[in-house]
Amino acid sequence: MTLGGSLGGTAQRNAAGAPVRRPGIGATLGRIGLAMAVAFGALAAGAGYWQVWRASELSSAPDDAAVIAASRRVVRGEITDRDGERLAWSAEDENGEPYRVYLSRSLSGVVGYASRAYGTAGLERAFDAELSGVTAADPVQDLLKKFRTDPSDPQALRTTLVASLQQAAIGALDDDSGAIVMLDPRTGEVLVLASTPVYDASGIANPATSTATFQALVADDVGRPLLPRATQGRYVPGSVFKIVTAIAALGSGAVDVSTTFEEQPAAEADGLLVSGFRVRDGHHSKTGSRAVDFIEATEVSCNLWYALAGLETGGDRLVDWAAQLGFGEPLPFDLPTAASQVTGGDGPAPGGFLDDVELASAAFGQGETFVTPLQMALVTSAVANAGVIMRPHLALSFTGKAGTTTISPEEWRRVMPARIADQITAAMVEAVNGDLGVAYTTGAQVSGLTVAGKSGTAELGGEGEPNSWFIGFAPADDPQVVIAVVVEHGGRGAARAAPIAGTLLAAWKAWAGR
Amino acid sequence: MTVTVGPRLQPRLRHRELGLLVIAVFAITIGSVSLALSQRQAAGEPLLGNGGPPLASGVALAVYLGALFVAHAVLVLTGRRTDEVLLPTVGLLGGISLLLMERLPQDLAGGLGLGTTQLVWLTLSIAVITMIAAFIRSDAWLRLYKYTWAAFGVGLLLLTFVAGREVNGQRLTLAIGPLSGQPSELLKVILVIFLAGYLSENRALLVEQSTRVGPLRLPPLPYLAPMVAMWAIALSIVVVQRDLGAALLFFVVFLLLLYVTTGRGSFVALGLVAFVAGGAVLYEVVPHVRTRVDIWLDPFATASGAGYQVVQALHAFARGGILGTGLGAGLPEVGNLPPGGIPALHTDFPLAALGEELGLIGVLAILGLYLVVIERGLRIAASAADDFRAILAAGLSLVIGVQAFIIAAGVLKLIPLTGITLPFISYGGSSLLTNGLVVGLLIALSDRGAEPPPPPTAARGLRRILDRGAP
Amino acid sequence: MDPVVLSIWILRLVFLALLYWFLWTVVRTLMRDLRAAAREPGAELGRLLVLASPGGEPAVGSAFSLDAMTTMGRDVNNTIVVDDEYASGSHAVLTYRGRAWYVEDLGSTNGTFVNGEAVDGIAAIAFGDELQLGNVRLRLERARR
Repeated sequence: MTLGGSLGGTAQRNAAGAPVRRPGIGATLGRIGLAMAVAFGALAAGAGYWQVWRASELSSAPDDAAVIAASRRVVRGEITDRDGERLAWSAEDENGEPYRVYLSRSLSGVVGYASRAYGTAGLERAFDAELSGVTAADPVQDLLKKFRTDPSDPQALRTTLVASLQQAAIGALDDDSGAIVMLDPRTGEVLVLASTPVYDASGIANPATSTATFQALVADDVGRPLLPRATQGRYVPGSVFKIVTAIAALGSGAVDVSTTFEEQPAAEADGLLVSGFRVRDGHHSKTGSRAVDFIEATEVSCNLWYALAGLETGGDRLVDWAAQLGFGEPLPFDLPTAASQVTGGDGPAPGGFLDDVELASAAFGQGETFVTPLQMALVTSAVANAGVIMRPHLALSFTGKAGTTTISPEEWRRVMPARIADQITAAMVEAVNGDLGVAYTTGAQVSGLTVAGKSGTAELGGEGEPNSWFIGFAPADDPQVVIAVVVEHGGRGAARAAPIAGTLLAAWKAWAGR
Repeated sequence: MTVTVGPRLQPRLRHRELGLLVIAVFAITIGSVSLALSQRQAAGEPLLGNGGPPLASGVALAVYLGALFVAHAVLVLTGRRTDEVLLPTVGLLGGISLLLMERLPQDLAGGLGLGTTQLVWLTLSIAVITMIAAFIRSDAWLRLYKYTWAAFGVGLLLLTFVAGREVNGQRLTLAIGPLSGQPSELLKVILVIFLAGYLSENRALLVEQSTRVGPLRLPPLPYLAPMVAMWAIALSIVVVQRDLGAALLFFVVFLLLLYVTTGRGSFVALGLVAFVAGGAVLYEVVPHVRTRVDIWLDPFATASGAGYQVVQALHAFARGGILGTGLGAGLPEVGNLPPGGIPALHTDFPLAALGEELGLIGVLAILGLYLVVIERGLRIAASAADDFRAILAAGLSLVIGVQAFIIAAGVLKLIPLTGITLPFISYGGSSLLTNGLVVGLLIALSDRGAEPPPPPTAARGLRRILDRGAP
Repeated sequence: MDPVVLSIWILRLVFLALLYWFLWTVVRTLMRDLRAAAREPGAELGRLLVLASPGGEPAVGSAFSLDAMTTMGRDVNNTIVVDDEYASGSHAVLTYRGRAWYVEDLGSTNGTFVNGEAVDGIAAIAFGDELQLGNVRLRLERARR
């Protein structure tokens, strides 16, 4: 027998004429075959994951090739405010190619821009796929679309915004940098999402001026107009954070509305010593050196009471309750948001605090605490809506060839029982309308409308004016609108933010009462 | 003692092959028509004017389908009892490739254009399959000279290390005069041939003896040397050529064949440990490897930078969804525009383009076709006459299967992406010709020999009626 | 829905369907091969059921598993020994080839009959057909699965 054998001949046979037995190889081949089948099964699962599970997310993402390609040639759908006023529409340049035009600069922080050269931002980016007709909001339409001659179906977007209030908000912020959020706590519909300084979105979108406009905006690293502050600006909250502490302290049962701290009176004059650090207070000239309860502490913005309540609650519970309110991760919103934080989170104490000093400071909004204006609006809406946070949203409906798809309100979190929300509401009403509170919130009152609220003065350390904060809602007995205002370097809360809130709530009342 | 039946050039019908070929040809034709129609529709031309698809692709299609039938005819005429499934399966994969390359931007390849160049290589590949399947009858030239093959392979490798041309930072291409190609493609075949020779010769020793190290049973020490050499070769390919794909392919096929031969899981475990250790060192030392792994862990973090290719591929899959956009209606041509296109789409990412245009359904079908090649090859191995041929057949089918898996898994983000071709679908001559060689050998190996002789006691009558094959 | 787009889509879906038809055909082939491989020597190809046997050998009602070749006759070297006075020593041979059964008369004295017809040299026989050697009648039946 030759060593080589022959491919064309019969199999090698042993003397008995039976094929030579090769023990084992058949079995291992079977196992290898099975392993390859499993490996290809994994490939099939992988393909399924990307083509089914993640398909709509990826294929409607703003950096998807189809979305980019469509947004270059398609006449994008219009964007209107909730009353139908046009916020963004398309014009044609001399080549007949469409470009975007925007109603006013006041919208820049929320509507953003869509430019052939510089891509998209804001709502133009978030709903790029719908506006340029790559995907429909309704999955059935999305499937049927394939069978049409022109599969592109740009959708018109009706937003929850109120153009007049948006313009009033930008006007009220004037030359200051800052942000204002107004939303309906019952539905999560955002009425105002203002960020200053504003920029000329039409200038970026218009091919004739886009380069010059955009380069100038990018170069401005002082005002940073391209940063949407309402959703991505992270600010020291100051005293408005006391509402978060109140929710955690009352909600967890660490304190109740009648809790007073016996160490407080003695500490009023010289400050409260926490682990060697002195927490000071500024209200004892008005209240005298006596222990205050929750309502009064909120009314006069008592740092001592809140520091002690925070210590009583404990770091882990404070962080957990804040997480329930949305802290710690981006919010479920139509636009990208920055995550708010109670603490840097890498300390050894419970909740990630460094020590009790940081916890005590965080409890009244200093320390390593940073929040976005939208986050503070959601905290407020939890109080205003009996403990329930509705998912905030900007899209009211999409209208395409096949009709209108409406986005319904949806509940996001149930944070606390209505009883606790009522208690905090009562305190916030006192903070705006009480004899002592009014000094801290001057200007937030609106005639004919009971406003509940809380001001804040966020010390930034070093020189410079503090950030001025106000959060609140109205009417206090039937909350229909929540407002959060921050003015960078605006001074005390009562100096800038509270009067702006008063102006805008009055404007809202006029708009709502039409 | 051996029954030697001389080469008989007697036609023997191949019904299954013909049936499958007809389905494949039908499918490719329908696909081509749908492609031509959607291209016309996109260009705003009348759908039925001038009749049928554009001339160029119609001719290309006819040439390719003709080549498939000629291959079938040659196999029928030579009359060997060989596998009838591989040719149509590979032919269908090649047809899908042809449709894709006709449809991609033609300037991806210079000269004749992408589609026509691919047509030439595909036709040559089919010719290679046919020649080898029809006329290679002895395996002695593979079996006897395994060390010569190994030396040739190592020489080829060293030549590439030294004289290889760098393309995209990878030293993969070797040019000799006007000819250029990627030697790693040929190297994989040589590797399998050598391993089949080496492992079958030493099988008994590998199975029966072992060195105990703690709880592990290792191969006998003298036989560890080739394992270590394999490992070193794979690592050096990564370091010198930066060709992660080929290194991974060689090493995985080596481990699988070692398992086929010995049935010892512990050898594979040892190989995996060495692989992971080597990988960890490479991750630290070779920046190229680290980049690939980091991209794999989170391509979206660098979606407009290093992770661009992978992210765009995933977007293409996502755009395809379940049914796909249809041939000709996807977006790979956005490749000409600054954002959105996928670099190396026609060589490394054809599955992404197919995923977009044929959808999940199409991708599953293509994966199924590869699985058919693998299972068919393993079956040929299982019924092979001796160890050498069994291991050779297993190795050849695994080379195709593992290669398809590596690039598909890389594109689908199951493993880090390593640039390697998708057999029979990717653009490129080296890949198509060597894979043709592999499939041709598999078909030749599947030869079941002559028809069984008629029962000896059955008398003249039976022979007269049934034994049409008498000389 | 636009008819042109719809018809292009129908073509696209037909293309995908054909890919699966191809796969299905291949899988059927593979399964058939597997079954053929499982039918190794030893596994029966068919059965012969004894219908009548006056001599008692083979016994009425018994069944023989058939291999590719079965010889029948009075001689004890046959696969099926037929103890009948009208049977010859080497009477007939039953073979399975390709996908068909054949019976060949080995020059017996009294002949071999399929369904009552005398076999002239060799004849095809199918499942259900009756085979007669002398007084012994047998029926070819499918193998048990």
